[in-house]
Amino acid sequence: MEFNVAEKEGRVRPDGHSKVTGTLKYLTDLTFPNMLYGKVLRSPHPHAKILSIHTEKAAQMAGVEAVITYKDLPGMNRFGIVIPDQPVLCEDRVRYVGDAVAAVAAVSVEIAEEALKRIEVVYEEYPIIDSPEKALHPDAPKLHPSGNILHRATYKNGNVKKAFEQCQFIVEETYELPRQMHAYLETEGGVIVPEKDGGITVYAGTQHGFKDRFQLSRILGMPESMIRIISSPMGGSFGGKDELNIQPYGALLALATGCPVKIHNTRPESVRAGLKRHPMKITMKTGVDEAGKILAHQVCIIADTGAYATLGPAVLDFSVEHAAGPYIIPNIETEGLSVYTNNGVAGEFRGFGGNQITFALEGQIDRLSDLLQINPIELRKKNLRKVDDLGPVGQRIAPTDGAAHVLAGIEKLVGEGSKHKYDAKWKRRGTGIAIAMHGGGLGFGRLDSAGGRLSLSKDGKIEISFGFEECGQGLLAVIENLVVEELGCSTEDVEIVIGDTALVPASGSSTASRGTSMVWQALQRMKQPFKKKLIERAAKLLDYEEEDLTLGPSGVWHVNKTDAPCMTYQECASLFNDSCTVLTSFHFPTTPDAVNGGHFLYAFGGVKVEVEVDLLTGKVKVASIDHVISAGPVVSPNGYRGQIEGGGVMSLGYALLEEAKMVNANYVAENFDSYLMPNIVDVPFETNVYAIEELVEGDAYGPRGVGEIGTISITPAIIKAVHDAMGHWVKKLPISPEEILENVELKGMLEWT
Amino acid sequence: MKHKLLEGPLVVNEQQLMFLKMTVNGKVVEIQVSPTEKLVNILRDNLQLTGTKISCAIGRCGACSIFINGELANACLLMAYQVNGKEITTIEHVGDKTIDEVQEAFLKEGGFQCGYCTSGMILAVKSLLVKNPNPTQSDIKEGLSGNLCRCTGYGGIIRAVQSLIKQN
Repeated sequence: MEFNVAEKEGRVRPDGHSKVTGTLKYLTDLTFPNMLYGKVLRSPHPHAKILSIHTEKAAQMAGVEAVITYKDLPGMNRFGIVIPDQPVLCEDRVRYVGDAVAAVAAVSVEIAEEALKRIEVVYEEYPIIDSPEKALHPDAPKLHPSGNILHRATYKNGNVKKAFEQCQFIVEETYELPRQMHAYLETEGGVIVPEKDGGITVYAGTQHGFKDRFQLSRILGMPESMIRIISSPMGGSFGGKDELNIQPYGALLALATGCPVKIHNTRPESVRAGLKRHPMKITMKTGVDEAGKILAHQVCIIADTGAYATLGPAVLDFSVEHAAGPYIIPNIETEGLSVYTNNGVAGEFRGFGGNQITFALEGQIDRLSDLLQINPIELRKKNLRKVDDLGPVGQRIAPTDGAAHVLAGIEKLVGEGSKHKYDAKWKRRGTGIAIAMHGGGLGFGRLDSAGGRLSLSKDGKIEISFGFEECGQGLLAVIENLVVEELGCSTEDVEIVIGDTALVPASGSSTASRGTSMVWQALQRMKQPFKKKLIERAAKLLDYEEEDLTLGPSGVWHVNKTDAPCMTYQECASLFNDSCTVLTSFHFPTTPDAVNGGHFLYAFGGVKVEVEVDLLTGKVKVASIDHVISAGPVVSPNGYRGQIEGGGVMSLGYALLEEAKMVNANYVAENFDSYLMPNIVDVPFETNVYAIEELVEGDAYGPRGVGEIGTISITPAIIKAVHDAMGHWVKKLPISPEEILENVELKGMLEWT
Repeated sequence: MKHKLLEGPLVVNEQQLMFLKMTVNGKVVEIQVSPTEKLVNILRDNLQLTGTKISCAIGRCGACSIFINGELANACLLMAYQVNGKEITTIEHVGDKTIDEVQEAFLKEGGFQCGYCTSGMILAVKSLLVKNPNPTQSDIKEGLSGNLCRCTGYGGIIRAVQSLIKQN
């Protein structure tokens, strides 16, 4: 196991000690006096009309303090970050098995569960639309007033039809990607506490506290100023807790009872109601000339967005944007449809549509290289973008050589050859590579503001504050490392405040690989004014020249005095009569070209994998993984490495194991016994990460986030490695052992002698 | 497990509650609970020992791993009547005063991210190393296969274990 950037000596994550000792209080660990327990009744049917709801029997139970239905909504009975189309509590119709119909608060979980059983709901079942194909049928019933198409996104350049005529080889394939579950170990939950002023405090994980506050304000008919959101820490999110989940029910029940209400989803409740990765069917037709230059690329994406919108439109836009990836393709036509069905809601998930489209794109490149008999790395080189090329949807982007760096890194690794020997007669080994380009931030046309605050706290700490959340990604370490680096203070001097709308400035969401980028950029804006404020005041009090003073560990130092600061931060705090506060507010860097959702900053990643295909069981095992990442300077080595390794394994699961399968719009697996995700047995100990920190000269944007880039290229690399091992192209994930065995049989790969 | 299922006759009162007496982190605990109450709930709700986490509640993920009489077990699969008279150790008792070497290794090697699997994972690593101070790759895989981690991809956990082998 290698990583080319060493962790700073003795540096551990700020939340590390509390995590390894079990003392960190997650929001689902909290209890309050007089706390009640909430439970949500969800629809037993994927699609039905609600004829009646009777809650009397539940309400009469001893220990039940409140039962609520849609009639109890004081504000707007809808939520959804972009398009609020999901009922908090359904009025007359349910559209998926996670739809909420009623909620109960009781003195114990058991009583609340029993009360749910006594709520009488009469349904009239409707036909189930369990696939985009059915939803798009002209006679299909409309799931929403606007019909069954949530979103359509296109990108066109050049003339695809004409260009295909000039192609020497054309590959056309349809790729199928499954519904993947985030499977954060901490399920959704928290406590909602009613406050004396009639407002509420919401202790529940989310990836954008201010957005939850806004959405809850609409639902509760309550000013945002009366809602406080404490949204951090979380036991994982990966996009899955970005949308509201239990918050509306906890808030309504807390207000109805005047008591704190805790809701903590069980795993089956989480599976049923929670977001998933969009299942997609992607058809790609790609043509090359005889030298391997890609001339034409035609793409059709059908995404199953499930019953409600959440960030479905943005996910589709992202897929459409990345259809050409890091390749320059003169003629391209991409069309995407995101379609409502009665399946589980699909939405934001690490990689954000990039995983699906890159799987298909890299699959095309590999199939073409096979047809052309050109080395896959050579074929990629021929078509790769250059430093100043436009972005994949023709927009201006920050100049970057990341694609070439990553490909060169992968080429070097491939040149080193295989690290393993063949070890069994019934196994075949193969090697595969793939690369990816991934946009950071929300993209053009979206509110993507950021900001931060620096100040000197009363007890002499340098307090840095952001409206971000710690989901586990390591943002606290990023903030600490950057403050130490940019201000020159020590880790002991830093106090970080995040995840509480009452205390933090708006910084935008903790999503889209934007956190690290925004912390760095905020500090570039704040460091000089903050240093100046401290030094000005210290110089005045000490009668020194300002230019002789600098910030350092524990305090303000005189440049000629090296044994101790001339004024400690504690002394500054007690002697200054203000907190030296510096605030900043800015927008995530965006392309100047009006391309909806188009990105400006990109990270690049490449993977080389070796797999072992078992000809007797059809199982594919990943034997080694090498990641090459180009995302600017590494801020927090352990965090960076962990994001890449962890992201890679999450997508190893996507390739080999994971599918939140639905049959008749019902989830087949409801827990980790049947939803299989990688455990330590599935992971190669031979996993290496190589970070390329170099940016184009003059780049002013600093480190890019790496939360997502490690999840993208491993999946197509595994497919290529399987092909290398046995000559079969897989086009549907997760790889089915049955499909492998069938092809072992077809190809006569087994010798029974 | 080698020990008997029940240490003595199970006595319940009129409310169908039993007097549970067990040792948790070195302290004797006596509480009235339903004989079928799960240990994970007793630890988290009655004793406020929230370092033991709950995630799948079916014994698959290992987030609720604890020691019962020194053996690694899932607290979500044990009921009150089964732990009567037993000695329970949770993450709160590991490195009570100063953190121990496994915790130190997790900090240094990045053996966690969100931290929700970490309590259980650390106990599983301790259990593995107590039984086998020099585990091979396959020993590590076997020893930790009952504990899921969604964040790290296990890399930092593997490095933490291997750094402890080197120390040995």
